[in-house]
Amino acid sequence: MAGRQSRTAASEISRRAWLQGTAAALGAGAIEQPLRAEVSTLSRKQLLLLFLSGGASQFETWDPKPGTKTGGPFRAISTSLPGVQIGELLPHTSKIMHRLTVVRSLNSNIPDHFQGHYAMQSGRIAPGYPVLGSAVAKLLERSEDVLPGYVSIRRDGPKAYTDVGDAGFLGAKYEGVRVVNNRPPENLVQPAAVKPTLAETVDRIRKSNDERFRRGRDAAPIDAYRTTFEQAQALMDRREIFDLTKESGADHEQYGKHEFGQNCLLARRLLQSGVTCVKVTHFDWDAHQDNFYWHQIRCAEFDRTLVTLLDDLERRGMLEHTLVVISGEMGRTPQINKLGGRDHWGRAWSVAMAGCGVKPGVVYGSTNDLGTEVKDKPVKLGDLFHTYLRAVGIDSSASYSIGGQTNPVADPAAKPIGELLA
Amino acid sequence: MISAISTAADAPSLHQQIDTLISQRHSELKVVPTAICSDAEFIRRVHLDLNGVIPSAEVTRAFLENSATDKRQKLIDDLLASPDYALHMARLFDVMLTERRIAAGGNLYDVPAPNWREYLAESFASNKPWDQLVRELLAGDGTDEKLASALKFYLVRDVAPHQLTRDVGRLFLGVDLQCAQCHDDPHVVDYRQSDYFGIYAFLERSKMHPLSPRGAQLAETAASKTTFVSVFTTRSGETSPRLPGGEMIADPPLEKDKEYLVKPEPKVRGVPTYSRRLKLAEQLPRAGTLGFTRNIANRLWAILLGRGLVHPLDLHHAANPPSHPELLAVLERWMVENHYDIKGFLREVAISDTYQRSSLMPADSKDLSEKSFAVAPLRGLSAEQLRWSVLQATGRIELHYARLDAQTKKTSPLSEASPTPAWKEKITRNEALERQSVSLVAAFTGLPGQPEEGFQPVVDQALYLRNSTKLLPILQEDSGTLLARLNQMSDIQSVADGLYLSVLSRLPTEDEMAEVRQLLQSIKTPKERREPLQALLWGLLLSSEFRLNH
Repeated sequence: MAGRQSRTAASEISRRAWLQGTAAALGAGAIEQPLRAEVSTLSRKQLLLLFLSGGASQFETWDPKPGTKTGGPFRAISTSLPGVQIGELLPHTSKIMHRLTVVRSLNSNIPDHFQGHYAMQSGRIAPGYPVLGSAVAKLLERSEDVLPGYVSIRRDGPKAYTDVGDAGFLGAKYEGVRVVNNRPPENLVQPAAVKPTLAETVDRIRKSNDERFRRGRDAAPIDAYRTTFEQAQALMDRREIFDLTKESGADHEQYGKHEFGQNCLLARRLLQSGVTCVKVTHFDWDAHQDNFYWHQIRCAEFDRTLVTLLDDLERRGMLEHTLVVISGEMGRTPQINKLGGRDHWGRAWSVAMAGCGVKPGVVYGSTNDLGTEVKDKPVKLGDLFHTYLRAVGIDSSASYSIGGQTNPVADPAAKPIGELLA
Repeated sequence: MISAISTAADAPSLHQQIDTLISQRHSELKVVPTAICSDAEFIRRVHLDLNGVIPSAEVTRAFLENSATDKRQKLIDDLLASPDYALHMARLFDVMLTERRIAAGGNLYDVPAPNWREYLAESFASNKPWDQLVRELLAGDGTDEKLASALKFYLVRDVAPHQLTRDVGRLFLGVDLQCAQCHDDPHVVDYRQSDYFGIYAFLERSKMHPLSPRGAQLAETAASKTTFVSVFTTRSGETSPRLPGGEMIADPPLEKDKEYLVKPEPKVRGVPTYSRRLKLAEQLPRAGTLGFTRNIANRLWAILLGRGLVHPLDLHHAANPPSHPELLAVLERWMVENHYDIKGFLREVAISDTYQRSSLMPADSKDLSEKSFAVAPLRGLSAEQLRWSVLQATGRIELHYARLDAQTKKTSPLSEASPTPAWKEKITRNEALERQSVSLVAAFTGLPGQPEEGFQPVVDQALYLRNSTKLLPILQEDSGTLLARLNQMSDIQSVADGLYLSVLSRLPTEDEMAEVRQLLQSIKTPKERREPLQALLWGLLLSSEFRLNH
């Protein structure tokens, strides 16, 4: 997995290059304008990834097949999009389908948690590439940013197979800062016993030693390590961004007092504070048994919170510059097993998006009657990665240039799905 | 190229062959390797790699002042003979073999960590051959008290056959067959679904048999069919046990009513007359098994050189060939001829020039590829190396042992020859130090179930090092610690020497001397010196020079 890749370096995709990419995405007219003017008029693009860890069932969510042998016991319900139905476990979402973009024809072809987690986030099979949050944090970085570009909010626990060597070759600066169980990172406050003068001298000694040690040596790991101290300082200085008590009681209520709701509220707060990319992981979709009972519970949380979140982002004017991606690492099998569960399945499943850069009210592709195969408009996982990047204004055909080597930011064998882009 | 290497009695030793083959490739690549490392670089690196901890200031000073020409070789031998060798290797292989997994049943049926570590430490102290160690890990069912701890390999994986299949392939054969569980791997041509299920067939009959209140054993059924269906082709297959590249192993015919030595009943552990799992333990750890020798040679190489000749370590296949195939062949042959002698292998590699390259590149040289082994890589210390090195640098180890020794003298002045082996005694002696530094290890370990390779520092760790109230007590000046000793020295040069030797295993440069002088020279009382001395110690502990093995 990506964690195996240890080399890091200050990569430089030229700012100008991506701005031009942005301009191209905005249409031919935009490129006529002077570049400088464009910088000031462009709003800040951001990304929110809602990750349904364990693998949500496409049948019980975006792609229901009621009344078939694979469809399970639930009905399909009509939505705000004429002619489009989704699973009855998502009643709130059904009313805002006109604001969503759903792909029903994904064939990622990976039925393994770890591999799926990595591949769905990095857009590739080969190890060592940055995941979406790290890539976007890097590519949308601005010189005035002080906070880490990527924060990953998840549950604690041994089965937290969701952080899989996030930044790859981009290095520590773009690793996701982990927020576990909605607690801010530990050790954000300097202990009272440490005098400011002491802390200052410690920092000075560390830096001067690093500078001497770095001469003549492979700079990448040294710089990666140094960066973690810089980010630590930035987080210490602005630790109130993690303080959910500053949010209103009404918001707490509407988002839901459960873990996922609170995590989404925190995600909104972090995006507001200027973090480029936030990932929220919603756990326990791995329903090998009692799939239907399990999805009732999971969907109830997800459904209401998603709608609250999108409404909130919209009301605050954030949705127009924030891409929201809803994905997991895989879908679930059409066959229902002996325990009433669905197993791992990557051959035909769904993801959804909303907000910045994507066309609302689009349902793309379809599966066959039993949901066993993609019927039309097949999508590869690499295509999605291109699409996400393009939606936030990044030229997905560009390359990172690191230590004299260039690496395409997205798999060159895949391409953006034009029909989904606004 | 292989034919050039003589197999006669006067054949060059392994370290010579390593250096020859590595330099041949340097010439081909037109790469100029870095110089042999300094004594200071060497002593730190070899202590970390063979004993898992930086050397003490006294040991370092003595080594730097020693003018014997064979002192490096002697140091290597001393470290391999030290009880710390066994403890370090036990920690290393604990992490490699369990990947910090936690059994789903927790302590209810898992092997307690101390028992497992003792089992590993004993194995490395006695230099148990690798094939034997693997045989014990695979064969144990928990009934033999002496080998009961070896069962941990199965228990942390909840005896789940798919998990075990994947990890047996990865950790013992160097091939990650995961993708082949559902179909022939579309990305790696060499990995076939039938290979995966061949291993699976050895394991799928084994089950957990929980006992109470603590401990579990393995039960096994006498019959089952191993079938699989490709999700691509829906073509189904059926297989008997088979190792990758090997022949199928047919079960002996089942005789009615003689299938079991112990018939499985509810609450009775089934023991079949013929065990597929024992067959695996017999067949896999052998020179004839594809990948078995290569895997351990490659993993031990990576322990000292920072990366494998095959890299990543568990992805050996045609599209990811070894960087130095001839060398890997030589290492494999040595392993077989020397009956999987782990200590001997590490000794040969550590003696080589290849291991003893400097991490410092000449000013005008370009980045040297890690793959060329032309420069010593910078590697992050593992959580365990970091723990013991922080305790060593701050003087906590020395202080703790001195206290223990004083206590022992008081309570039992007559006890002399102890029947307990040194490594075992040291485990007991280390207990309090481990308790003191639990949080440090926790802050630097990865997620369970993930191989820990590469250096991936994260911001949480920097926050820990700067602000954790659990680290602070270790950095305080207490009587008998490094800071207390430094504070008693009047001469600033001695303070700087003591500090740098203790933390960075070298003497300070002139710049560094000036830095220390500037902080300390205007200070009169020991009390006023406390803060700047602590800042110096803490600052150096936070430096990348300390954090990296270089």
